[in-house]
Amino acid sequence: MNKITKIADESGEKYKYGFVTDIESEQVPAGLNEDIIRLISAKKQEPDWLLDFRLKAYAHWKTMKEPAWAKLSYDKINYQDLAYYAAPKQKAAPKSLDEVDPELLKTYEKLGIPLKEQEALAGVVAVDAVFDSVSVATTYRAKLAEQGVIFCSISEAVREHPELVKQYLGSVVPYTDNFFACLNCAVFTDGSFVYIPKGVRCPMELSTYFRINAKNTGQFERTLIIADDDSYVSYLEGCTAPQRDENQLHAAIVEIVVNKNAEVKYSTVQNWYPGDKDGKGGVYNFVTKRGACRGENAKLSWTQVETGSAVTWKYPSCILQGDNSVGEFYSVALTNNYQQADTGTKMIHIGKNTSSRIVSKGISAGHSNQTYRGLVKVVPGAQNARNYSQCDSLLIGSSCGSHTVPYIENRCKNAVIEHEATTSKISDEQLFYCLQRGISNEDAVSLIVNGFCKEVMQHLPMEFAIEAAKLINISLEGSIG
Amino acid sequence: MQNLLQNKPLIGEDVSWLRELRQKGHESFSLPDAKTEYWRYTKLHDIRNTDYVMDVPFYKVKPVNVGLEGYILYFLNGSFSPQHSNLPQGVEVMPLIEAVFTVPEAQKYLGKIADAKIHPFAALNQAYLNEGIYIKIEKNIELKKPLILVHHTHNEGESLFYNLHNLIVLEENAKASLLEYYTYSGQIKSRYFGNHVNEIILAKGAGLNHYKFQDEAFYAVHIALSCAEVDEGAAYSHFCFQKGANLGRDETHIRLLAQGAAANIAAAYKMEGWATLDTTTEIEHLAPQTYSNQLIKGVVGGEAKGVFQGKIHIAPGAVKTEGHQLHKALLLSDNAETDCKPELEIYADDVQCSHGAATGELDKEQLFYMLSRGIGEDEARQILVEAFLDDVLEKLPSAEIREWMKSRVK
Repeated sequence: MNKITKIADESGEKYKYGFVTDIESEQVPAGLNEDIIRLISAKKQEPDWLLDFRLKAYAHWKTMKEPAWAKLSYDKINYQDLAYYAAPKQKAAPKSLDEVDPELLKTYEKLGIPLKEQEALAGVVAVDAVFDSVSVATTYRAKLAEQGVIFCSISEAVREHPELVKQYLGSVVPYTDNFFACLNCAVFTDGSFVYIPKGVRCPMELSTYFRINAKNTGQFERTLIIADDDSYVSYLEGCTAPQRDENQLHAAIVEIVVNKNAEVKYSTVQNWYPGDKDGKGGVYNFVTKRGACRGENAKLSWTQVETGSAVTWKYPSCILQGDNSVGEFYSVALTNNYQQADTGTKMIHIGKNTSSRIVSKGISAGHSNQTYRGLVKVVPGAQNARNYSQCDSLLIGSSCGSHTVPYIENRCKNAVIEHEATTSKISDEQLFYCLQRGISNEDAVSLIVNGFCKEVMQHLPMEFAIEAAKLINISLEGSIG
Repeated sequence: MQNLLQNKPLIGEDVSWLRELRQKGHESFSLPDAKTEYWRYTKLHDIRNTDYVMDVPFYKVKPVNVGLEGYILYFLNGSFSPQHSNLPQGVEVMPLIEAVFTVPEAQKYLGKIADAKIHPFAALNQAYLNEGIYIKIEKNIELKKPLILVHHTHNEGESLFYNLHNLIVLEENAKASLLEYYTYSGQIKSRYFGNHVNEIILAKGAGLNHYKFQDEAFYAVHIALSCAEVDEGAAYSHFCFQKGANLGRDETHIRLLAQGAAANIAAAYKMEGWATLDTTTEIEHLAPQTYSNQLIKGVVGGEAKGVFQGKIHIAPGAVKTEGHQLHKALLLSDNAETDCKPELEIYADDVQCSHGAATGELDKEQLFYMLSRGIGEDEARQILVEAFLDDVLEKLPSAEIREWMKSRVK
């Protein structure tokens, strides 16, 4: 109770990450063509096979159409107006943290991201910080290397571990997958690469922090996580962007490979700039996230808290190939003002005795619209597959919308699939009960909303959970009363 | 596939609004494909692979004995044969084309309730708007016995394609029951395609219990759409049991226009072989304090496929509404399939909405319990399947029709 009130007090500000870092940046000219792709590839000193991969994707992208099936409406994006690469100017690649531009370090300090190797509240967290199109710093690399864990930017991985990247890149999300993923394959710039070797339990949480700073750019990050047999890793992702009147595009791909007996926990707190109260500006967040549970007993768990972005199009998915593999999806999505979110998950049951669990909590306020869109598919032969889905929506105010569109396809007799969804507003009785006990209207609403989300929040690592609870309170502001 | 849009002489070409309506249907129609969202699970191979004809010789066949008391209206191969005229006072029944010339409501409603732009097969139906009946129940009339529409198809080798279009109007506080019975005689392997559209108007306080029993031939295609507009305090109930046809679709689209309007759907399907049976519903809550409830259950065996798509739409401002929906399917064999898409689309905050969907196989413990009491396995399975479907049949308000359906489900 006390914590909630305190958090509510702290939430007197709106989007506090809306500042712009004044740093000289190097951009490629706006536009998208083969030359730009060659330029990006050259800047990153990439090998030929990667350039070929990009060009192949680009050729395919030109034949594709932007998807229109989602319940989203936004101005048409002119892909030729965007700059596809932006990086803070550096004299030479920094060898250690001391060499990183102090302006950048200040930015991350302001964002509350520890780029110094310091003890955080919940223990040690290793951070990879991605600023526009490049990774500026990765902490605790030496300590992780002791155990054989590779944690670096994907550009570095291409240089230093080409065999791993070559083997896994595009193996979960092929370049032909969808319009935005294909675009990402052509122009992706940076992101994180994680490899956990056999039998290793990663000694600390790994985290990536994405920041869009430059104007009129798109961010196309690419993350690849490989958990080899019997390993474990918990990975966190956070994102912010400055407050700008133009819309920015963010089209990312996250690929996860989970081998036999391994477990990956992927948590996201997505807080891109959502636009102002009239719906001006904000980030278009079109993301493809997918993990493959390749081996027996593999487990993949997605947890996401989505409060940012003007438009979100995102469906973190699990392909349950290994027998007894487990997929989980926990999501809280909160939209306010004119935000739109079309999000959900896909659970594809292929192996025997696979199980999946979906818990999705949607909160719509203001004039926002939100859709849960999910697919549960059981292929023939996926004996004893089990799925449980629960999608609850809470509506705050009379001008918002909340939609639920689950697709359930079952081709196996002994699969058991259950889906439940409810939609309602905050009950007057609960509110009355709180008010009667002297809790203000606003605090009561945030208390009830936090209770509504609790089932999901408890799956987040502690620091993230506190951060997420704060975010929800801030995002709710102005929607009550 | 021969073009479904054939040149067939129709009556009333000189009525300009009717001609325009047919023309519009003609222009709006295109056969749905895998990319058509509302047809993504129901494949139309049967229609694509068959050359249909729209005229067959007149067969002298023995009328079907329904075995239920009511006012029987008989259709043979998609043509209305007006033979029973023992209708009570306050009920008007006439061929649709007669209504086009004599009843002003025909122009007012035809093609307006079932939108050809949204429903491709309603567009096809509208292009041939000709056959069918017009039913009107006058103000405050309460029918004691059901109107029974017998749809009897009989063909001997030809692949018949026909369209039927009914317009059903219930005036203020009128109450009625309507049973549609789809059956066939002739060759077991006969292929035919019946494309049915019902446009239903319920004025203030009216009530219609619309029953349907679909027992078409093994290779038949049955596509039916019932569109209803429900005014203040009126209630429309749709009870459907599908067990025949190789491709069967029962689609209901209900618009609740004013306060207190209610919709109720209880549907079941049971099939074997290679059939696809599809139940699609859409309920639009367009006013405050409107209510809907849906229960759909299906049993799928063989290599069959059960499809359920249901949508509850709540318009902005339609507060204090309630919409509930539940779909359950039972798979009996390894190659059976169910595809299900329950959908909520909500634009108002003070509402109570829910949907649930579950699929699974027969409960092994229940089966074991029965086997341990000396009931044979086949019989035990049958009892469990019947009990599963009973939930739906129990919703039928008329005991006579419920028993009549039960005896035909076995």
